[in-house]
This record gives sequence, C-alpha cells and structure tokens, in this order.
Amino acid sequence: MIRLTNVSRQYGRGEEATHALRSVSLDIPDGAFVKVVGTSGSGKTTLLNIIGGLDTEYSGTAEVAGRDLRDMADRELSRFRNLTVGFVFQHFHLLDHLDARQNVALAGFFSDGDVRQADERAEEVLVRVGLRDKLHQLPGRLSGGQKQRVAIARALFSRPRLVLADEPTGNLDTRTGGQVIGLFQSLSREDGLTVVAVTHEDQLFRQADLSVRLEDGRIVEAGRR
Amino acid sequence: MKTSNLRRLILQNLGRNKKNFIFSGIGIVAGISSFVFFVALGSGIKRVVATEIFPLDANRIQVVPAAAQFDAWIGGRTIDDEALSRLAALPGVAAVYPRMKLAVPATMALIGSEFPVEDLTKLAELPGMTPSMVEAVRKLQIWMEIMADGIDPRLVKGDAAFGVFADPPAGRPIPVLLSKRLVEIYNSSFAKTRSLPPISELLIPYVPSLPLTLNDSYIDRGIAGPKLSERIKIVGTSHQALLGGVTMPLDTVRRLNRFFGGEAAGRTYDMAVLEISSSDKLSAVQPAVRRLGFDIDTSQKRMAESVAFAVTLVTLGFTLLSLAMVAVAAVNIAHTFFMIIYERKREIGLMRALGASRRDIRSLILGEAGLVGATGGVLGIILGVGLCVLLNVLAGRLLPDFPFKPRQFFGYPAWLFAGGVVLAVVFCLAGAFSPARRAAKMDPSGTLSGR
Repeated sequence: MIRLTNVSRQYGRGEEATHALRSVSLDIPDGAFVKVVGTSGSGKTTLLNIIGGLDTEYSGTAEVAGRDLRDMADRELSRFRNLTVGFVFQHFHLLDHLDARQNVALAGFFSDGDVRQADERAEEVLVRVGLRDKLHQLPGRLSGGQKQRVAIARALFSRPRLVLADEPTGNLDTRTGGQVIGLFQSLSREDGLTVVAVTHEDQLFRQADLSVRLEDGRIVEAGRR
Repeated sequence: MKTSNLRRLILQNLGRNKKNFIFSGIGIVAGISSFVFFVALGSGIKRVVATEIFPLDANRIQVVPAAAQFDAWIGGRTIDDEALSRLAALPGVAAVYPRMKLAVPATMALIGSEFPVEDLTKLAELPGMTPSMVEAVRKLQIWMEIMADGIDPRLVKGDAAFGVFADPPAGRPIPVLLSKRLVEIYNSSFAKTRSLPPISELLIPYVPSLPLTLNDSYIDRGIAGPKLSERIKIVGTSHQALLGGVTMPLDTVRRLNRFFGGEAAGRTYDMAVLEISSSDKLSAVQPAVRRLGFDIDTSQKRMAESVAFAVTLVTLGFTLLSLAMVAVAAVNIAHTFFMIIYERKREIGLMRALGASRRDIRSLILGEAGLVGATGGVLGIILGVGLCVLLNVLAGRLLPDFPFKPRQFFGYPAWLFAGGVVLAVVFCLAGAFSPARRAAKMDPSGTLSGR
C-alpha cells in the first residue's frame, strides 16, 4: 500500500518558488496498475520521485508498505530503492559502455548478492521481457523498444514490489508503446506488482486499475476503471 | 556495497576514463619520482657522511681531560690508569680504551730511490700497476712532519689485516694504521695528480717499511735531546686512526714517550674511548663522566651532525619541491574528477535510483582516485629508482674521482617505497575529496530529469 497524505513539493523559495505538488493525498493498493496523467509540468514526475524515495524534500507524509520514507536514513532509503522499487525512465538511462545484461545487472552492485548470481538474474529478466537474443548487445545497437525492455528488465532485477515508470512510452512509436504497456499489465496481473506509470498519452493506458489526473500540482481526478 | 562490487565498478570506470586518468596521473608520477629521487640522493649522501667521512659509533663516547683548572681538585683533570679504573666502574660502561699522543715530533723522508729494488719489482707486478706509477714511486721525494698517537689494539680489532698490531720486538718496524679518510683523500686527489699508485688492500702488503725519525722536526730546528731512528710498517686502515698522521699500538707510544720524557710521560693518556653496554645507557653515562671531572669530546659528532643537517636541509628543499608537484597534480585530479562527475551525473543519479547510497557514490569516486594514486605512486617509484640507477651509472663513469666518491650515490630507506605510494594515494584522495562529496550530494531526481 502506498499512502500519500498532504504531500507538497516546491522548488525554489519566495516569489521565485514553483509549486510542483500541492497537498496531494492518494492511496494506491498493492498490486494495482495505476496511471498518472497530466500535462507537462503538472507534477507527475515529482510524484513518482517522492514515492520512489528519490526526492525527500517535500512536506506531508509519504508511506510505502507502512514505512514513512522520510524516517529512513540515506542508507535505508537506498536499500529501499534497491530492493522494493524498480524505476523505468522515458529516456531509458542505459549506460552506453555496458551491454544489455550488464545494464540490467547494475542494480546487483548495490545489493548483497554476488556477481554470478547477478548475471544469472539479469539473463532471467531479459528473457522474461523477450530479449533472449540481445543479452550482449550494447544499447547503441538496440531499437527504442528494445532499450525500454532492457530498462524494464533492469527495474525487475531485484524482484521489486513496486515499479515506477516515468513516461515509459514517451520515446516509442504507438505499436511498441502498446507492447510495453502490455508488459506492465502482465507484470501487474501475473506477478502482483504495483505499477505506477506516469504518462501524457492517456489513451494507451486504458487497462489501468486506477487513473489519477494531475493539474498544476493538484489531483483533479482520481477514479477506478 | 560489497567491497568486491566496489572494486569491479572502480576498475570498470577507470577503464572508461583512461585518457583523463593517464593525463592526471602523469603529474603524480612526476612528483613521486622526483620525491623518490631527492630522498634517495639525500639518504645516499647521509650514508656516505655517516659511514665514510664521519663514522660514529652510537655506543661509544670519547672522554677527554676537563679544560677547566678548578676540576683538578677532584682528580679528574688528567686521564691515568686510576681514572681509567673509575671510568670502567661506571654503570653502563662495558669497556674503556685509552689513547695517547706521541709526545715528540717526528719526521719521515720518503725517497723512492732508496726503496729496495726487490720491493719495486714486486710493486710493478701488481695488477693495475702501470709503468708510470712504478716510475713515480722510484722518483718519489717527500719530507714530512709526522704526528702519531697510540691506541688500544682492542679498539681497532680487525683493522690490522696485514700484520700484528702490537708493540714490536726491538729491531722490528712499528706497525701503524692509516686513517681510512686520509687514504681516501690521498687516493682520489694526491696520488692521482702525481701518478702515484693508490693505497689499496692489494698494495699495502707490498709497501716497504718506511723510515721514521723521532724527536726530529723540519720546522723546529731547536729540538734538544737525542733522535731515534725507527721504521714503520703499514698494517691496515681504520676509521679509528689519526686523520693527520699514523696510529701505533698504545704500548709502543707509551714506551717511546717514556724514552723521551721519563716515566711520568707514559702515565697519562689524552683520551679514553668508553664503550657503552647499550645506547639507552648513554644518557646516564654522560653526566656520570662529567661528575668525575672529565669532558666528552663531541666535536666529531657535531661535525657529522652539521654536515648531515646541511644535507637534510638541501634534500628537504628539493623534497618539498617534489611535494609541491604532487600537490599541483592533486589539484589537477580534483579538476578531472569535477569534470568526470559532471559528465557522469545522470549515471550517478541512475546508480542512486538503483540503490547506491551517498556513501557508495563517495567510496566509488574516492576508490577511483585512490587507485589512480596507487598506480601513479608505483609508476613514480619505478621511474624514480630507474632515474637513480641511471644517474648512478653515469656518475660512476663520467664524474672524475673525488674524495669519498661513493659507488652508490643513492640510498633507499625501506619506508621510501611505501611512503611514495601512500603519499600519492593521500594526495589523490585529497584532490578527489571535494568532487566525491559533491557527487554524493547530487539530487538523483534532479540529475535523472536533467535539472
């Protein structure tokens, strides 16, 4: 369960301040497939960063699995990101000098497991996202859809309970975007993962369990399918 | 993060930024190599000073009669057998070795044409001996004033390699020891400019006995009393021997002083060398010696310390210069790391998103800097030692001989190698400290969204 209570976030101070989120309260049940929609600058990415423990400079309370994220020290929060959360980014953020398997196994460097286990797990998740034959390809030789699949595999590496996807289809064509969304749906349905996907392409995420619309940092609409 | 994972990430990142790190590392290599070079040079020179020019035994002190007259009443002004017994009885004193100066002047006339022919023939057969050297010996004409002193043979045990160092029977030549320093000065300047053979262990056995006239002087023609003609035979060289003369067995000098000055002249000594049982007793023995009314001659030690201090000062200057080079290299390292973390900020943000803590990021940057430092340090040491070896060979071949010219100009204290690496690592870590802190403090959400 993810619970946000009166969460606000502003960048800068005084007259220059920008309010990214204003008193946002939201409950997301475990295993839900959630889409967060809104125009650019509406606070979608900020919301995702706060849930994922990447941003702690907010007011209000953000709880994930019963833990207040701001109560966690840096080390604990890092462990939370490593084991509980998987991130998927619009620009993939794959490291160009590492092949697909090495990119996926990167999270393994920050866990307690050993390298061989990390490589095996990386192969397993790459197979799961349909990239069995691309294990040793460098990102430069992959298509946009394949890159995003590698990024999704990386997010799944640590067997997280929560996947946070920021505009996961933003750099993909409609057909490939649809395939990626299908992958998220199956992760949510079959593996019981909570998936929160931020998007401005409302139509692509018709199967979401919960839809949240943000405008100017406020939730203006939240409803179940 | 596990250490093994950290190590892998560090190696991976260093491999990617090879050019940057090689460029930054050059400064470290240059600084450390010059550090090694100057420390090794200073150490080598200090070793020559301590072992060749002013050899000092830390467990020995030289006791001389007190200079002040009022000490006479406590009986400590002169060193006689009774004083030797009192010194020997002091706690911490293991042995006492008296020294006595020859009380009369002496002269020596070295006339090559008077040397036995068979000695000159033997000389010519020695390896390294050139015809011009033998000719120079044959034409030799030197008249010298000779100073001499007598030394307890136990103090020069092992130095008399070519004869017995003891008062000889009547008619036999007096065995003498030459100062190693004197021999070095003779060999590297006097002998060379006059084509004379150098005094070496090879030559000494073949040097004929030389004439010595006691109670004689070329300077003071008014000396009263009979002259005494003796012959001396060089039996070895010693650091304990008199620098400007020859050193004889103590009993010989005692006998000669009695001959010229009567019984009393053979009773007092000019110096006593005290052997201390261990160096930690030294601080207790010195005041005890002074309480008995004697002085401690520290002139040799002071000279050695002055020279060593001067060498240390010059070395320190150059060492500081090399440290400044390393410090400049550390600033360069800082710039490189600031540039690298700027280039890698998205990657750092990604690592934070994947579970890296601030400490992991800091460790990663510092680990990369530490490895650059360690590698630069090792390469700097190799380069520095290589430079020392090369210059040592060149100096040996190209520099003309001079007194105390060492075979090894450089010394390598054990700490130098570890110290060089540690220094390089410390400076690199210092250079990377601020970039590492900045990288650790980066806001991952900001870097990932390109803010």
